[in-house]
Amino acid sequence: MSAIRLDNVEKTFSVGDGELHALGPVSFSIEPGERLAIVGPSGCGKSTLLRIIAGLEEASAGTVTVDGRAVTGPLAGAGIVFQRDLLLDWRSIIDNVMLPTEFRRNAGSGSRTRARALLDELGVGEFAERSPWELSGGMRQRVAIARALMCRPAMLLLDEPFSALDALTRDQMNVVLQRVQTAEKVTTLLITHSIQEAVFLSDRVLVMSSRPGRILDEIEVPFPQPRRLAVREDPAFAEIARRIRLHFERTGVLVE
Amino acid sequence: MSVEASDPTVRGGAWRTPRVAAPSRAAAWLLPAASALIGLALWEAAVAYFGLPAYLLPAPSAVVQAIFTYRSVLISQLAFTAFAAAAGFAIALVLGIVFGAAITASRTVDRMLYPWLVISHAIPKVVVAPLFIVWIGFGLKSEILFVVVFTFFPIIVNTVTGLKSADPDLLQLARSMGATRWEALTKIRIPTALPSIFAGIKISATLAPVGAVIGEFVASNNGLGHVLIQAVGSLETTLAFAAVFVISVFGIAIWYAAEWVERASIPWHASQRGGSNTGF
Ligand SMILES: Nc1ncnc2c1ncn2[C@@H]1O[C@H](COP(=O)(O)OP(=O)(O)O)[C@@H](O)[C@H]1O
Ligand SMILES: [Mg+2]
Repeated sequence: MSAIRLDNVEKTFSVGDGELHALGPVSFSIEPGERLAIVGPSGCGKSTLLRIIAGLEEASAGTVTVDGRAVTGPLAGAGIVFQRDLLLDWRSIIDNVMLPTEFRRNAGSGSRTRARALLDELGVGEFAERSPWELSGGMRQRVAIARALMCRPAMLLLDEPFSALDALTRDQMNVVLQRVQTAEKVTTLLITHSIQEAVFLSDRVLVMSSRPGRILDEIEVPFPQPRRLAVREDPAFAEIARRIRLHFERTGVLVE
Repeated sequence: MSVEASDPTVRGGAWRTPRVAAPSRAAAWLLPAASALIGLALWEAAVAYFGLPAYLLPAPSAVVQAIFTYRSVLISQLAFTAFAAAAGFAIALVLGIVFGAAITASRTVDRMLYPWLVISHAIPKVVVAPLFIVWIGFGLKSEILFVVVFTFFPIIVNTVTGLKSADPDLLQLARSMGATRWEALTKIRIPTALPSIFAGIKISATLAPVGAVIGEFVASNNGLGHVLIQAVGSLETTLAFAAVFVISVFGIAIWYAAEWVERASIPWHASQRGGSNTGF
C-alpha cells in the first residue's frame, strides 16, 4: 500500500430534523511506514475520521484515496483497534486473534503459528488458551492489537486504544505498541486525546480543532525510533507538547 | 517490565471472599430439605387431626402409596404426556428460531408478524383449546399443536432479542475485517444471541408438559392430563395428587436438563461462570 490521501473530507450527520457538521474539511496524507498521530478534543470528529478512512462510513464531501483509487467499502489491509477491546467471550484468546482469518476475504492469510508469535510479541503468549474474562484491561487490549495485526495489514488504525487504561498500564502499552510497530513495520494512524501519547508514538502529529474538526497544525517529531519513555522529559519533547497545548488553550478547549 | 506488576494479569484467586460468606454446602442442602419435611409433616398431621376425607385432601403418605399402587399406569401415561410435550416443544423451537431470525433479518417481516404475535400471546390459550378439536379433531395431533401454541412465544421473543443485541461496535469491527452479512450472523450475532435463546428455551421447556396436560384435559384419552381429569371427576383425589406429583417431578427434571444443556453450550457466559467472588 502506498499513501492514503484525504482531500477536503467532510462529514455531516442528519440528526432529528437538523444537521450536525461533525468533521472537516480536512486534507492530509499518510505515507507508507509513517506513524501519524491525530490529537483533538473529545467530540471533534476523530472517530468519524477514522471510520471514513477505514471505509466504514462515507464522507459527505471530499475524497479518500488509497494508491490513487477511491475507497468505497471496508478497506482491506487495515487493522483496527477501538477503545473497547471487543474480544469475543466465547472464544479463547488465540481464537480471538484468529478471528479475521476466518472471513472469506482473508482466507489463508494467517496461521495459528503467526497468532502465537503475535501474542508472544505483545507479551501475552502465556494466555493463549485462556478466556478473555480472565485477563485485565491492559492484557485484553494487547490481544486486540494482536488481532488487528493478524492478517498483516498495511495499516493499523487505532482509535483511542488506551483511553480506558490506568496511567501506568498506559505507559506500558505505549512501549509495547512501539515495539510491535517496529517489528511489524506497519503504517499507523493513532487517534488520541493525550498530547504526550501522540508525541511519543508518532513521527508527525496533526492537531485538530473542536467540532467540526479541522486541522490546526502539523508538527514533525524528530526523535529517532525506538524511543525510551524518558524521551518525554527531553526539553524538545516538552516544547512540542507545549505547542500542541497552546492550540487548545487558544481555541478555548483548555481553560485555566 | 516492572510496571507490569501493577497490572493484575489474571483475575480471581487473589480476591478475598467477603466476610458475609455464603452459607456452607451442608446448610444449602439441609435447610430446604428440612423445610419441605416440616411442611409435609404439618400436612399429614392436619389431615389426621381434622379427620379430612381423602376426596377432600389426601395425606402425603396416602399419595405416596397411590403413586406406588398406580406406578405402571402413571409411568405409561407419563410417557404419553412426555412424548406430546417433547414433539410440541421441538416444533415450537424450530418455528420460534426460524421466525425469530426472519423478524430480525427483515423489517417487513417484523412489521407483518408483530401484530399476530401479540394477538396470539394475548389470547387465553386454555379457552381456545377446545377449538383445536373442532379444527383438527380429537387426539394427539391437537394436543401437540396446543403445546406448540403454548410454548413458542418465549422462544421467538428471546431469539429476536438475542439476535438484535449484538454490539454495534463489534459488528462494525467484523465489517472492517471483511465479514459478509452471513459471516457476521454465524460468528457474531448467533453466539451473542445464545444466552437469550437459552433463557427462552428454559421457559418453554418447562411450559411444554403443562401445555401437554392442558391439551389432554380437552383433546385426549391418554396421558397424565386425562388421568388427572378422570380422577378429579370421580373424586379419586388421591390419584389426582399422585398424577400432579409425577407431572411436577417431570417438570423439575426438564428444568434441570435444560440448565445442564445451557451450561454445556455457553460456559463462557457470565450467567454460567458463577458470581461467588462478587460478594452478592
Ligand atoms: N452516527 C452518528 N449520528 C449522528 N451523530 C454522530 C454520529 N457519529 C458521531 N456523531 C457526532 O459527531 C461528532 C463527532 O463524533 P466522534 O467522531 O465520535 O468524535 P470523537 O471521536 O472525536 O470524540 C459528535 O458530536 C457525535 O455526537
Ligand atoms: Mg472517538
